[in-house]
Amino acid sequence: MVRRKRRGTQEGEYQDPLKDYSPATYADELERSLCESDITEMEIKPFLAIDPGTSVEETMRLMDKIGIACLVVTEGDKLVGIFSERDILNKVAEQYEQIKDGPVRDVMTPNPVSVYETDSPAQAMNLMAVSGFRHIPILDLDENVVGILGPRRVTAFVQKHFEEA
Amino acid sequence: MGLRNDITNAPVSDLPLREVMSVPPTATCRQAVATMRDKRLGYVLILDDAGRISGMFTERHLIKLLLADPKQLDDPIDKHMSRSDKSVRQDAPIATVIEKLQSLEWRFVCVVDEQGKAVGVTGQRGAMEYLADHFPRQVKVQKMKSKLFMDQREGA
Repeated sequence: MVRRKRRGTQEGEYQDPLKDYSPATYADELERSLCESDITEMEIKPFLAIDPGTSVEETMRLMDKIGIACLVVTEGDKLVGIFSERDILNKVAEQYEQIKDGPVRDVMTPNPVSVYETDSPAQAMNLMAVSGFRHIPILDLDENVVGILGPRRVTAFVQKHFEEA
Repeated sequence: MGLRNDITNAPVSDLPLREVMSVPPTATCRQAVATMRDKRLGYVLILDDAGRISGMFTERHLIKLLLADPKQLDDPIDKHMSRSDKSVRQDAPIATVIEKLQSLEWRFVCVVDEQGKAVGVTGQRGAMEYLADHFPRQVKVQKMKSKLFMDQREGA
């Protein structure tokens, strides 16, 4: 039997595992920021949070008064749902008089898709552009809601980069 | 910078456009709401006989209508639609749309041809998709919810 000679390093010789590592390269600062910065570099505040027991009418009056399309529904600081203009169109419009005094919990979208504040802007954009969610709640690592991201805030982020370039 | 050049120079018709979803001025708000729900769109256009835009009804109008009096759902839509001209020419640069979305806080923009006839609708969502298309590697392939640390130890 012919025994093959071991190739490579001698026992005890150090080999740098990162010697072939080449860092990611980006075409511009915007691309780098999309991939490497945290979502908190985007404008994720202010956001409006309500209790799931708030009435549908009161919630809609808040949205109308402030002029927002979406708010988060929380218990404590924990995310339990999201309520948007689309929920009003799909679940509220035709039966408004019957359900306006009921809790928003009954018509919200429960357990919405969210991202962590340490995720990159590109990850949130993926959910919005590919999966079709218009608003994405942002959580801290303890799962508390710390913000919300919508399309206008994304375009503002891009514009800010253009102005700084 | 590629994206910046494209936004400044490329025409609005390069943006992802939604179909022209319309109802006649005589339609009721309830019919418009049913159309929006069926097509999963946040707007409906009201067009005149020549195909020109005479108004727009959005989810925002629906909220105001319900809060005022839900019986108004049976009103003709031209009593509740917005008549302001939220349109841009299809050959205008994309920057025009971005500017209107940001500074005027428009959510939808009607795209019209040289005769003022509606050819599509875009808006915040269309702008988002355009940006994502510029960064397919960075945006379109992503792993969601990556925590900095594990909740539990890995392995056996």
